[in-house]
Amino acid sequence: MRSAEEALPKRPPSSDSDSVSAPAPSPFPSPSPSPARDSIGVARSADLYRRLVGAQIRSQMQYRLSFALDLLSTGLITLVEFAAIAFVFQRFDSLGGWTLGEVALLYGMVAVAFKTMDMLFAGFDPSDFGQSVRLGGFDQLMLRPVGLALQVLGSRFTLHRIGAIAQGLVILAIAIRLVDVDWSAAKILYVLVVVASQILFFGALYIIGSTITFWTIESIEAINIFTYGGQEMLSFPMHIYHPWMRRFFTYIVPGVFLNYAPVVHLLSRPEPIGLGPFAPFLAPFVGVLAMALALAFWRFGVRHYQSTGT
Amino acid sequence: MTGQAIIHVRRLEKRFRVAMHQGGPFGALRGLMSRQHRVIRAVDGVSFDVARGEIVGYLGPNGAGKSTTLKMLTGLLVPSGGEVIVDGFVPSRDRRLYVARIGAVFGQRTTLWWDLPVIESLELLRHIYRVPLDRFTANLREIGDTLELGSFLDTPVRALSLGQRMRADLAAAMLHDPKLLFLDEPTIGLDVVAKERIRRFVLTMNQSRGTTVVLTTHDLSDVEKLCERVMIIDHGALLFDGALQTLRDRFGGQRQLVVDFEDEHEVVDVEGAVVAERDGRRAIYRFDRDRVSAAELIGRIAARYRIRDLEVREPEIEATVRRIYEERLLEGGNGGEGASDFPGDVPTDFPPDFPTDFPIDGPAPG
Repeated sequence: MRSAEEALPKRPPSSDSDSVSAPAPSPFPSPSPSPARDSIGVARSADLYRRLVGAQIRSQMQYRLSFALDLLSTGLITLVEFAAIAFVFQRFDSLGGWTLGEVALLYGMVAVAFKTMDMLFAGFDPSDFGQSVRLGGFDQLMLRPVGLALQVLGSRFTLHRIGAIAQGLVILAIAIRLVDVDWSAAKILYVLVVVASQILFFGALYIIGSTITFWTIESIEAINIFTYGGQEMLSFPMHIYHPWMRRFFTYIVPGVFLNYAPVVHLLSRPEPIGLGPFAPFLAPFVGVLAMALALAFWRFGVRHYQSTGT
Repeated sequence: MTGQAIIHVRRLEKRFRVAMHQGGPFGALRGLMSRQHRVIRAVDGVSFDVARGEIVGYLGPNGAGKSTTLKMLTGLLVPSGGEVIVDGFVPSRDRRLYVARIGAVFGQRTTLWWDLPVIESLELLRHIYRVPLDRFTANLREIGDTLELGSFLDTPVRALSLGQRMRADLAAAMLHDPKLLFLDEPTIGLDVVAKERIRRFVLTMNQSRGTTVVLTTHDLSDVEKLCERVMIIDHGALLFDGALQTLRDRFGGQRQLVVDFEDEHEVVDVEGAVVAERDGRRAIYRFDRDRVSAAELIGRIAARYRIRDLEVREPEIEATVRRIYEERLLEGGNGGEGASDFPGDVPTDFPPDFPTDFPIDGPAPG
């Protein structure tokens, strides 16, 4: 090997014993110790996820004004959209036989679930992820010795969505007051499980959408039909839709089990589209299954990406 | 070159199928339907070994296959053929285990968190690579001193100059004590001082830690200052693999002797050299080092004319490399079977609407 001194004569003689013998006068701060360094598996992943999300939140807090505006605007959109629906109800009283409060229950649950998902799974937002693949950001993640899904999940965390989530909660609270349901702890728990299932389901759609961008980024609009379109569809009673659309959301993208069936059950309404007696209880299974399929597709997509590049 | 091979590459190939773009409305849609492709051989039968502790420069023009090779060496891409074994790993297959042992900096991209101070990014990477705290602290001190990071450790990455950002990225790549360092265009876009600092860092790491370094570059002074060994790739095939000195000796072509005479002369011819240029009392001779030594030539000239001043110019490596590209002096090189038949039919003249984001080479797509 050519020596540094020979090639770069101005370099003062380097001695790596410096660093060992003189630990005291360093200008570099000592990083804080990590209590979870020796933890394993899930605990380690959780620790890393927490740190990655923390980094995202600290990054966003650098732009406080922008954060505040995002918080307001994303929140207002949800409320304004719902206000528009409420005005329609002033004229027509009901939608497919459902009252404003009943539709608000559907709408509020999906709003809370989708916006929460959009915060947690922002790294998998197909348009942003597609961009990161194109610009090489995903390659940088591949150079790190950590699972890729965890890193993508930790690569974005849109905290300002709490504005929209809060608006969804307001709609949900109004719905809970308006509908004729005898609320119990079990029913509240039921709503929580259903909302969690929806979060998994929408998250799965995001992951599938992002995975498709490994093949093509020209399809992002098509992917949005499933994510945003799915959210819109689930916000209204399924029986108002054309039968082929219902079939699509029953057999192909089984969203009907995630919102409509549980809400019909909560309202103790007769269920008009023949989903069967177990339909109200399938939400968690659909959510978990969708996520498992999405992650399997994701792994397949990563292998494809490794063999083709962008 | 002593020491055992840490990188083992045999008949490495990477072919890309690139969809032909169709014009007009619905062009993208028809592109999906018709599935017309052309195959691009970005890397076409490359073989080499790299010994532990070597610094190897990987040279070639844009689109030659440099970055594609580097992506296969770092596990980002799976080869279409041939084999890559680095430090006992198949990079693309053993990704997570493998990347913990290497450092990589890809030119214009950063692994750092854009809106956070540099130190916070390094801290996050400590957890990602599970570097023990004492090791991290010692490394940060040593590497931080070498790269002079101290003044901007608390600055957000977005506010750094390109040179500072590159130094921060280099630090990030070395904090987990990698055995190998892959650098893709580490000095691109930097001023001379920043380039020197980065070269010095690479040499220091190589010497004090025995880090094996593979770097791609356009900048031949990187190679001159860092690498004893050079590989030159073009059209996916190795044209040359050997010592920088060999490259100079064999393809360096002619040296130049610049002579300023005391007097005006009509004719200044001497045996063994050609007069390449005349300008007043100055003459520039070209001569082959194999046929005549500089001393001999000077002697011959001095015997006939009075000399005021003279200078021997070594051939520039840039000119040397250009000659290799242009003349294909070493068809096939020693790059293995695939490299022996030079693929003249590789498409380099892409149609104007050709997608620019396929990963043949060059700066980050997009």
